Amino acid sequence: MKVINFFKNRYIYFGISSLIIITGIILAFAYGIKLDIQFQGGTLLKYTYVGDINTEEAAALVENVLGKETNCQEQTTVATNEQTLVVSLADNESITSQEQETVTDTLTAAYPDAQLDLAASQSVEPYTGARFFRNGILAILISFVLILLYVGYRFRKIGGISAGVMAIVALFHDAFVVAAVFIVFQIPLNDSFIAAVLTIIGFSINDTIVIYDRIRENKTLMGPKTSTEELVNTSITQSMSRSINTSVAVFVSITIVYIFAQIYNIESIKDFALPMMFGTVSGCYSTICIAGPLWTMWKNHEAKTNLKKA
Amino acid sequence: MVLVTAALLYLSLFGLHIGSMNIKGADEMRFGIDIRGGVEATYTPKDLGRAPTAEELESAKTIIETRMDAENITDREVTIDSTNGAVIVRFPWKSDEADFDPQQAISELGETALLTFKDPDGNVVLQGSDVSKSYASLDKNTGSYVVILELSSAGTKKFAEATSRLVGKDISIYMDENEISSPTVHQAITDGSAMITNQKDLETAKNLAAKINSGSLPFSMVAHDANIISPTLGMDALNIMVLAGKIAFALVCVFMLLYYRLPGFVACIALLLQVVGQLLALSIPQFTLTLPGIAGVILSIGMGVDANVIVSERIKEELNAGKTLRSAIDAGFHRAFSSVFDGNVTVIIVSIVLIILGSGSMLSFGYTLLCGVLMNFLAGVTASRLMIRSLSEFKGLQKPVLFGARRMAE
Repeated sequence: MKVINFFKNRYIYFGISSLIIITGIILAFAYGIKLDIQFQGGTLLKYTYVGDINTEEAAALVENVLGKETNCQEQTTVATNEQTLVVSLADNESITSQEQETVTDTLTAAYPDAQLDLAASQSVEPYTGARFFRNGILAILISFVLILLYVGYRFRKIGGISAGVMAIVALFHDAFVVAAVFIVFQIPLNDSFIAAVLTIIGFSINDTIVIYDRIRENKTLMGPKTSTEELVNTSITQSMSRSINTSVAVFVSITIVYIFAQIYNIESIKDFALPMMFGTVSGCYSTICIAGPLWTMWKNHEAKTNLKKA
Repeated sequence: MVLVTAALLYLSLFGLHIGSMNIKGADEMRFGIDIRGGVEATYTPKDLGRAPTAEELESAKTIIETRMDAENITDREVTIDSTNGAVIVRFPWKSDEADFDPQQAISELGETALLTFKDPDGNVVLQGSDVSKSYASLDKNTGSYVVILELSSAGTKKFAEATSRLVGKDISIYMDENEISSPTVHQAITDGSAMITNQKDLETAKNLAAKINSGSLPFSMVAHDANIISPTLGMDALNIMVLAGKIAFALVCVFMLLYYRLPGFVACIALLLQVVGQLLALSIPQFTLTLPGIAGVILSIGMGVDANVIVSERIKEELNAGKTLRSAIDAGFHRAFSSVFDGNVTVIIVSIVLIILGSGSMLSFGYTLLCGVLMNFLAGVTASRLMIRSLSEFKGLQKPVLFGARRMAE
């Protein structure tokens, strides 16, 4: 098998990743990072209806009875051709079920022929939302630390902490790509975001570990004289088909899920599947092109410093 | 070895049988409201300047439960969140209840309870606010549980008048329109301390006491945090996801079969075993499956595919390196194990963090993930190895092409 020189091309990979990350940051400033009402609090009501409803007029009606700024939007589901009216309060206020009833009554009275039917409603207190968000972020960070410790311990033979740190760098990379997908597609951050990031972290760390495992094994097989560069290139090449096959299997599965969710307009699944599609690719890529080469650089640097000391 | 394969095959098929029975009996699998539709509301006291006490929350909970009993909503969860001073209510919204108004239901459940004591003619003799305290106790003389009522001074007067008039008759206690107890007056009670005797057990006594206390609850409950999902919206999502899941699973199987041949076939059976085990882990303890939980299932299937891919690749490699089939299989599993192990353990770490920190959706995700990964150890590693080893005993199956390898040493 021809060994592919991943290390040689490292700057190209780093360049691509930096470009993605910088684009993400620029877009984050341009579009702003939106939090879902799940995290920042607020109220969202969804009604199915038939016929025509002027959304601006509906918003004005609700505003009038609640005394709170309101937005109305319409959505159509492709598969069933069903129309949905989405009513949301502009500021992050949550309203009680009593106030919700008022909204329903007002709209039903104003559009008696529309057959308005409540499909879903969500109301979240700002402080409850903030608590959820904090817990989610905390879960991600604690997972990172524990992964670092575990990888550091299990791969102490190939320099423990350095392997752990590079695995985490790859994880941050993937978490960032997932976040960038939410920003680019302007999906407000919700619990799908936390779930997607965690899933991708799971995949990506698994991917990285498979390669580290190969490095650990090859280190014994190829002997101490082999350069780190050669060791890493060989290990990555050997596990290539596995990395790609697994990622293809997952990517295809998640894409099918996404297509169905898109056709039937199931938002919670859509918001999860789309970032997952990008995350799967990123997880595979970051392992092969980022974690391995970065780890080699660290090791080479270590070797040089040791040489100088001696 | 062949027998072991057969047994494992049977086990996985039998497991599948049990599994599909559980899926068919959809009531047996507990779905979250995001899947089957329903209501989730977090009630907090309205306009109360302080945190509610544990007794007050307990009373609030019994008010909500009594009202749900009256509405015949039995499949529900009512829990107290004492750290945040809230009562959390979850119940399904069944698709046959077309005229059910969930917003109204949420509002009504939280209203202040109207507690009244009525004589047999239906005249109100005492109100909830006349009872200053009510608690469960053990009557030492009879050895049975009782509920003690301490009345306010106004209540004492009213009750003395009523009980002297009603000796030998019943006084019925109502919450809203629901009768919660109907004790008989044995003698006139003038000292403001009444006792309802003959409670079945401590639990019943406590429950009744909490209900009576609810009459003097100084606040009503409102739900600022509430989620309503209509059953059609929820069930559609579930059906579509199940369909998408089946198609994805079938495609993965086709891919594994074409690419890895015999080990791929074994992998498909192992994956099936894993998914079945995971479904059982959800349905047996009646764990609530939510949409993020399904995401957890997807991730663990991915991990399962990966474990099998690693093993199959390894076997192929070892064969190409000139090993005999037997030793290639052994070496393949042996070498693959450490990476599958480390990969799974890190995911287990993540899932445990989620179970501890998360609530609701994150908890569901963490739980399904943990079960899936544990099943992966069992099915993807142990069962696959047994199956592939025993299948390789057959002469007809000892061909390199079946393992995707170029050659095979004799």
